[in-house]
Amino acid sequence: MSSTTPIPNTFDEEKPRDPYWYRHAVFYEVLIRGFADSNGDGTGDIRGLISKLDYLQWLGVDCLWLLPLYESPLRDGGYDIADYMKILPEFGDLGDFVRLVDEAHKRGMRVIADLVMNHTSDQHPWFQASRHDPEGPYGDFYVWSDTDEKYQDARIIFIDTETSNWTYDPVRGQYYWHRFFHHQPDLNYENPDVQDAMLEVLRFWLDLGIDGFRLDAVPYLFEEEGTNCENLPRTHEYLKRIRAEVDRLYPDRVLLAEANQWPSDVVEYFGDPVGGGDECHMAFHFPLMPRIFMAVRRESRYPISEILAQTPKIPENCQWGIFLRNHDELTLEMVTDEERDYMYTEYAKDPRMRANVGIRRRLAPLLENDRNQIELFTALLLSLPGSPVLYYGDEIGMGDNIWLGDRDGVRTPMQWDPDRNAGFSDCDPGRLYLPVIMDPIYGYQAINVEAHQKNAGSLLHWTKRMIEIRKRHPVFGLGEYTELNSSNPSVLAFVRELGDDRMLCVNNLSRFPQPVELDLRRFVGVSPVETMGGVPFPAIGELPYLLTLPGHGFYWFTLPPAIIQEE
Amino acid sequence: MLTELLAAWIGRQRWFGGKGRPIDELSIDSDVELTPGLRHLIVNVWQDGSRDRYQLLLGERAELPDRLTHALIATVDDTYLYDAVHDPERTAWLLDGMARDETRSGLRMRHVPGAEIDTAQRSLVLGAEQSNTSLVYGDAYICKLFRRLIPGVNPELEIVTALAARNAPHIAQPYGWIEIDLDGTETTLAIMQEFLNTSNDGWDLALTSVRDLYASSPEISAAEAGGDFAGESLRLGVATAHVHRELAAAFPTEVVETHEVKRMAETFRRRLMRAVAEVPELRRHVGALEDAYHQVELLTGQVPVQRVHGDYHLGQVMRTPTDWVVLDFEGEPGQPLAERRALSSPLRDVAGMLRSFDYAARHLLAGRPEAADLEPRAQEWADRNRAAFLDGYVEGGGEINRADAALLRAFALSKAVYEVVYEARNRPTWLPIPLAAFRPRP
Repeated sequence: MSSTTPIPNTFDEEKPRDPYWYRHAVFYEVLIRGFADSNGDGTGDIRGLISKLDYLQWLGVDCLWLLPLYESPLRDGGYDIADYMKILPEFGDLGDFVRLVDEAHKRGMRVIADLVMNHTSDQHPWFQASRHDPEGPYGDFYVWSDTDEKYQDARIIFIDTETSNWTYDPVRGQYYWHRFFHHQPDLNYENPDVQDAMLEVLRFWLDLGIDGFRLDAVPYLFEEEGTNCENLPRTHEYLKRIRAEVDRLYPDRVLLAEANQWPSDVVEYFGDPVGGGDECHMAFHFPLMPRIFMAVRRESRYPISEILAQTPKIPENCQWGIFLRNHDELTLEMVTDEERDYMYTEYAKDPRMRANVGIRRRLAPLLENDRNQIELFTALLLSLPGSPVLYYGDEIGMGDNIWLGDRDGVRTPMQWDPDRNAGFSDCDPGRLYLPVIMDPIYGYQAINVEAHQKNAGSLLHWTKRMIEIRKRHPVFGLGEYTELNSSNPSVLAFVRELGDDRMLCVNNLSRFPQPVELDLRRFVGVSPVETMGGVPFPAIGELPYLLTLPGHGFYWFTLPPAIIQEE
Repeated sequence: MLTELLAAWIGRQRWFGGKGRPIDELSIDSDVELTPGLRHLIVNVWQDGSRDRYQLLLGERAELPDRLTHALIATVDDTYLYDAVHDPERTAWLLDGMARDETRSGLRMRHVPGAEIDTAQRSLVLGAEQSNTSLVYGDAYICKLFRRLIPGVNPELEIVTALAARNAPHIAQPYGWIEIDLDGTETTLAIMQEFLNTSNDGWDLALTSVRDLYASSPEISAAEAGGDFAGESLRLGVATAHVHRELAAAFPTEVVETHEVKRMAETFRRRLMRAVAEVPELRRHVGALEDAYHQVELLTGQVPVQRVHGDYHLGQVMRTPTDWVVLDFEGEPGQPLAERRALSSPLRDVAGMLRSFDYAARHLLAGRPEAADLEPRAQEWADRNRAAFLDGYVEGGGEINRADAALLRAFALSKAVYEVVYEARNRPTWLPIPLAAFRPRP
């Protein structure tokens, strides 16, 4: 089947499903904890999320991405899994989960969830068995050593809290290996039983109907002396094994790699380009996001042009995941030191806005609540190469609370209406897992879904409209990306092409109005049509095509076939 | 008959150097058919008893499509004669000619050894230029036709092919050229190089940054402003040092002995005296300038000289998506070829770029009512970016020692003197820009 003809999302068994749906889907990252509370305990849950699926369908979302929802002591936001096959009780149970998937499918939406393969919680029964019974069936499930001197070339990732990748366990009398927190021991993938156990976990959820996984921290599965223990060949071998299993039994499910590395390293996680990729279907493009912020602040397209010019081609059936914001801080690992200093001065004026190596803000406050900039950023997200991932609440321009600890500032309850607790829960306000935003600018009385839905000029309606346009043009997901020669360094112009579906996108990264002359000779005779209003623009000739854009303005034009005039 | 029509036409062309003066006579120096429908002409234009030579591409068609009517020169015997640079169907032949090393009656088309030319690209005349016509082929090549011909090999061709042969960074790859013998001297008619797609010149980038600073609130310093350019200035300094290193390796170098260095100071002084005679505003700065030039006379060491760019400023450098590229190694415009090829201290280029930062910082002030308020911001931007450029130049291996500082300053001031004269003649409202260079500095 050709990978360039999208098939509508029906989950009707009669009709074929589109195995490449993820290449043109709009993703929406949702915190179950923060979306809707169905039982009044102050914490969001799966049933609450089900009650809001109609809203997400209305918005135009194709796929939900859920953060970890497994049994966990919650010392790392659920990324410390204590039982891979149980749902965290606060969120509901497996029955709720199956209903969520069914209800989403009925609405043409899919559901993927985070899965942490690299490590478990130290509360996981596997670890408890491993430390108490070294000779037992789980004795070799983790990476144990008599010394803490192996693998010295591996960096320590959480430098704020950890001093070593080894921690001594007095019960077993040995050190165990952990790339993240010391309460998250790494699984030992050298052990074939661990490899099989994880495949069983994957099959368990796939059999329940889940449409895929975001694989957390994939570069670290294997260790090897004399290396930095990242991106090792055997890690890739194991991912190929998982992919083969998914292809064999679950052909339209997706594996999305979280590998916060340079694009040239990340492409390895797509696997062999021959055959269209045989590891993960998708991977996040991490360095693009900070550079979009930088480009707009510098009023220069170069930070974006540069990173896209350095992004290698990916196998045919693969796709980048791109995002503006997510539940983590704005990651600055993939920028140079100089750029990091710059981003801190520009976007994190208060030290509390910084966390680890990043900035913890939501989109709207990062852009000083400037509607024009929010629209420009969203338009870039929806038109640059990759599948866009929206972060819950950003569609209404929600704010954050930098006074909350760790990364909680961007994880506050979704703001549904101006009633108690922003319509998120009917519990006593004091019982909420985190307080709702109440400041005069971003407070839920003003910023909420209900108010935005009533106001036709709202950011929410605008976002919905843009998603509609994107979905009418599969070229945004599937087409070639070519940057155009632009006479103005503040204007980023590019063409997306997929056969007759051609889209010209022109973005003014400056706050001032700008003219631009574009070399569009390839499209001589074409009259571009602006997509929001359908207004035809003057036909393209041999001479440079002149456009003027307001500050932070942008255009999306379709390029219909040329009308050739006889000489 | 054709000569009269050409005389009427050539006087209106932007690239014609003798505008405003009557043309006494036009004669055809050479007329070569390149391919049916395309002729290459070299014409002599006599004005006030002196002769200049120009080249043109003459197209011939029985029917003239609408898109070419603006290029029409004349209709002779039912044939339309027009400026063929505007006709992609004709200019395509230049690519073929260079790719195949064609020769037509002494007119030689050549490709750079090893370069593959894609002959399918269609050309477009690039914007309006003062003295050349540039054809952009697709997004692959840019072919510069020199309109007014000066016998000799163009320094740009000489330098870029030499640097490309060394795989030097920061240059636009050469692909081919066209040449002919004029007065027995091998003379460059055109040079074709890689077109730097999705690139902008340093001047546009710098102005974007300056504009941003002007619009920022006053308590924000140039270093804190969102559009800060210092990172780019630093990288440009590194690239400049690399280009100088490659020029020194590809061409002969010499040293100027101490007593010769003193003569450099005399040259600076001579230029100053001529300028003062023309622009009285300079008079009050003569003392300070004399002091600066005197510092050069006190130098006791030798000064290394080499081939340099010669007309180095922000408009001559392009930022590609990944790097800075230096263009137009043609030397100082309007100077005789020998002078443009002469060895010089690389500090002359450095000084040229430092002056250019000053221009970028102040150019937007001209005619602005709040200019006085913005002046300190302009100074701050210029200081910051000049310092970053110099840091980059040293980081890239360029040498600036204590003794060099005096020479660098003298070069920069002498350049400013030249600018004063230029602005007084052409753009009097811009005169404050170069004059600001003479203000006493802490």
